[in-house]
Amino acid sequence: MRKFVSLLALAALSTAGLADAVRARSDAAQPRPGGSITWGVTTEPSCFDPHRSSQQAAFFVARNYIDSLVGKRADGSFAPWLATQWSIAPDGLTYTFTLREDVAFHDGETFDAAAVKANYDFVKKPENAATAASLLENFTGAEVVAPHVVRFTLSRPDSTFLESVSNVKLGLISPKALAKGDLCGGGPALAGTGPFVFERYVRGQSATFVRNKAYAWAPGYAAHHGPAYLDRFTFRFLPEYAVRTGALTSGQVDVIEGVQATDVSLFADQPDFTLLVGPSGASTSFTFNINYTRWPADDVRVRRALRDGFDPEPIVRQVYLGHVPRAWSIIGPANPAYNKALVGAWGNDIAGANRLLDEAGWTTRDAEGFRTKDGRRLRIDVGYPQPYVRDNREILIQGIQAALRKNIGLDLNLRIVTAGEYAKGNATGTWAIYPNTDNPSDPARELWDMLGSKGFLYTNVPHPDPEITGLIDEALQATDPTRKRALTDRIQALGVEKAFIVPLFAPSWFLAAKKRVRGLSFEAGLDSPSSAYDVWLEGA
Amino acid sequence: MWSRIASRLLTSLVVAWASVTAAFLALHALPGRIEDILAGDVDYPGLREAIAAEWGLDRSLFEQYAAFVSRIAGGDLGTSYVLRQPVTEIVGSQLWPTVQLALAAGVLAVALAVSVALLTAGRGRRARKLASILELVLASTPVFWIGILLLMLFSFTLRWFPVSGANGWTSLVLPSIALALPTAGLLAQVLREAIEKTLDQPFVTTIRARGVGEFAIRARHVLRHALLPAVTLGGWLIGGLLGGAVITEKVFGRPGLGSVTLGAVLTHDVPVVLAVVLLAAFIHVAASTILDILYLLIDPRLRAA
Amino acid sequence: MNAPSRMPAAAPGEIAAAFPPGDLPGLDRLRASKPGRDWTSAPAFHLSALFLVALLIVAAVPSLFTGYDPLTGDFAEGLKPPSWAHLFGTDRLGRDVLARTLHGARYSLLIGLSGMAISVVAGVLLGILAGQQNRLLDEATSRIFDVLSSFPGVLLAMLVVTFLGQGMLNIAVAVGIAGIPKFGRVVRAQTQLVRDADYVTQAAIYGLGRRQVFLRHVLPNVLVAVPVIATVYIGSTILTVSGLSFLGLGPQPSTPEWGVMLAESRDVLRVAWWPAVFPGAAITLTVIAFSVVGGVLQKRFEGRLA
Repeated sequence: MRKFVSLLALAALSTAGLADAVRARSDAAQPRPGGSITWGVTTEPSCFDPHRSSQQAAFFVARNYIDSLVGKRADGSFAPWLATQWSIAPDGLTYTFTLREDVAFHDGETFDAAAVKANYDFVKKPENAATAASLLENFTGAEVVAPHVVRFTLSRPDSTFLESVSNVKLGLISPKALAKGDLCGGGPALAGTGPFVFERYVRGQSATFVRNKAYAWAPGYAAHHGPAYLDRFTFRFLPEYAVRTGALTSGQVDVIEGVQATDVSLFADQPDFTLLVGPSGASTSFTFNINYTRWPADDVRVRRALRDGFDPEPIVRQVYLGHVPRAWSIIGPANPAYNKALVGAWGNDIAGANRLLDEAGWTTRDAEGFRTKDGRRLRIDVGYPQPYVRDNREILIQGIQAALRKNIGLDLNLRIVTAGEYAKGNATGTWAIYPNTDNPSDPARELWDMLGSKGFLYTNVPHPDPEITGLIDEALQATDPTRKRALTDRIQALGVEKAFIVPLFAPSWFLAAKKRVRGLSFEAGLDSPSSAYDVWLEGA
Repeated sequence: MWSRIASRLLTSLVVAWASVTAAFLALHALPGRIEDILAGDVDYPGLREAIAAEWGLDRSLFEQYAAFVSRIAGGDLGTSYVLRQPVTEIVGSQLWPTVQLALAAGVLAVALAVSVALLTAGRGRRARKLASILELVLASTPVFWIGILLLMLFSFTLRWFPVSGANGWTSLVLPSIALALPTAGLLAQVLREAIEKTLDQPFVTTIRARGVGEFAIRARHVLRHALLPAVTLGGWLIGGLLGGAVITEKVFGRPGLGSVTLGAVLTHDVPVVLAVVLLAAFIHVAASTILDILYLLIDPRLRAA
Repeated sequence: MNAPSRMPAAAPGEIAAAFPPGDLPGLDRLRASKPGRDWTSAPAFHLSALFLVALLIVAAVPSLFTGYDPLTGDFAEGLKPPSWAHLFGTDRLGRDVLARTLHGARYSLLIGLSGMAISVVAGVLLGILAGQQNRLLDEATSRIFDVLSSFPGVLLAMLVVTFLGQGMLNIAVAVGIAGIPKFGRVVRAQTQLVRDADYVTQAAIYGLGRRQVFLRHVLPNVLVAVPVIATVYIGSTILTVSGLSFLGLGPQPSTPEWGVMLAESRDVLRVAWWPAVFPGAAITLTVIAFSVVGGVLQKRFEGRLA
């Protein structure tokens, strides 16, 4: 469920400014332990087990009770976490991690190399059907070298592997809990090593966490060390925008995630509230992925006309009231791998788009004013799976639909489809346009997900473009960072140039909180709000 | 009378079986293989095969159906494909909040309807007109819309009630009002007409002649007569309340069967959908059986039949 | 009691109509009501009828009443309050709310009418089947009604929409299926009553064939009940569709259908009341108008027969 996936980044500048401001304020008062908060969130995870989930909303919840071997910093580098150090063999095929020796799982089990091996083996084992296994494509096995040294072997070099190790999906769960199985329902049974212990899950309502008093193994980038400040905190599932906003303004919750654009003014620069706009920058823009093998979009002129036939800027500004920027590339603007050269390089050329369609033979019009050729209307479906519709994105697409109709006579047919219809289109490679953002991971992995020959969109499409899929395969194996950067830049450019992708906007997380809630921030590796580890209450 | 109830129970078994079988077939006839849907946007070699094997989707449809029926007969509703929890546990934990909401709304709707009807039936033209316009507007307004307006006024602006959850009675007030109002609108109209008709009956004139006060006549004698149609409607409205609960729960962020059902149908979570279907059939049967008994209690004349 | 006076009746007719005469005790007392007072009085009836006629005209040719396109707007003019240029204001994408509300009449009525048509056709066919002198047939169809009515309307429609996918026609089918037992039960009871009525028995005695008796005498008498229930039923269909839209299962997003508009407007309610109030009022007024007209028709119809 990549759509749940979140979001990106605001323009780097405004981001840095905000982050500085937040930091400056936090410095003024000293964090102190104690207190509890309630946090209203948009989505109730369908599964709390990070190995099995594919919802972005579940990952940011899971970070509170699940740690990883390494952590990812905002600049894309890696920090020690449960592993104090690691080394990669020159051939790129073995990774050796030295583990901390003072770590214990919530259920009292010891954290050691055997526990790491148990987790990776569990995910890799096909019968377990764990979604996280997609990150272990090249992983062949784990070996306990010493009680606190573990070695992973790969079948071929994988430039994305360390990033995968840092991912919460490959976070560590107590082997005893793993053996019991079925951890989706959360609760104390889901024992990780994180700063909070999963106390209770009330389906349809809330999930509650209590402080892990023994916690002394925060990631290298954390703002503090030792146990978390809060005694306890609760996620409250409030799917309606108006309800979340109202719950915060009336004081019934302390923090909300998912503030919509029209409500931003209630919290920004207000004496009682703080607004945090969160680009963590690990993920992709919201894009149209156009199936370039399907009529009529198999004609590059039609795809380019769609790409250039409207100006995304005013539509994005109107729907999100200027709080998020339009996008220029598949990769989000705050991501270190963002190809800045694409800014201003394409789009909004209505005359050119009309010329392209004329050239392509779409010269006649039907009664409703849409272009036709050989009696068929120029129509392309946008199949948006119902469970993924959120964040006013269907409104944005309606705006584009209206603009394309008016500007170039193209019928962009937005259809909310069932999960089944989507799965069928995907399994047969017959989908037309798929609107989405991708799960945060390594940029090469994200490009592979959406455009690679075996990524989830093109795996069942008969003849994906050899040029772009070839470049992606190369990027996945390029262990030299400069070479990899050149490749991912080229792939981003090619995606837009051939109009396989139309980037729309760069989503952001919007958090609002009461002033007294401090220490909220965003985490790069998750591309979402951080865990509540650094959060504290003024006057607690 | 008991044989009537017994035969109703027997046919209800048939109804339950037919509902579940129809739902089972429909779910499997839908576009999209279940393993593809469960895999979602994740893909790697062997994933779909593993999912199919895990849930027995690789067996023939008949085998799956046979396994399903024998499981149900043994009281096992299976495991949710998506939530990966026993269905009995999921439905069991969500049943009470929904029943609580529907009950509270039902009681409130009946209380409102009875008082409005008693107060306005056969009284001044203006009061009746006002009441019936109000009832009509309530009965003709979408439930979610009423819910959002109530929230904005009483939770966000006046801060009298919490916005959501199932913590204590205060969180039940607004959702049950939202759910009760349209129902109360319908019920009050029917009830008032029934009362007015009863007021025209000769026996009322007789009682009046004995010098019994107007309110006593209405509350003690007329209401009893007017109750029968109201009870019939009440049974019918149970379905409406349960359906409305799906929407009300979403507005107020309440736990309950509504969100579980919506999630399950959207993700083709077959075991959960089938459990909800079974439950709906069961509630329908239970409600109509109770109604049968109620009739007999309210109207002794029927006992002879 | 003779057969015609046992026509289903009662104010908000739909509920009473859900019960065939004689099937459930108690409701019979409600049937054969007096000519209405309240909202079934003359002015209310005339106003409602007028409203519905106007609605039909608007639905037929919405572009006569507005110069704006319901699907496109000026993005720079989003969420503007009512003004002379935009009497009902604009929505988030700068689309004219008046234009969308007017065009929406077509979609909302179309769904209501086609949903109702599906319920009527299927309900009448099954009801007549059930009303024949064949116990097995009666049992089978009655159980079908039981199965369908064991689901709360919204739940059933929700299941059907997720089976069929979202879209105008599918939603009509969904609400249509939910309505089958309502019509089916009434028609079944009517069929039985008419079948056993004296004049039909006599017609048979005079040697008219079964089919002729059925076509000439039974069917017309069975069908007279249908339009009245149907009128009231359209209103509840519109409400169900708005509920589906709220759940995200309504017609496709850009459709200017009232339920979709209302559901979409809820997110901006804090800053803008107009995208919500106008389609909301359209829904409520239309449902009321159908109920009033349906209720009055019913009473007049009974008065005529009594």
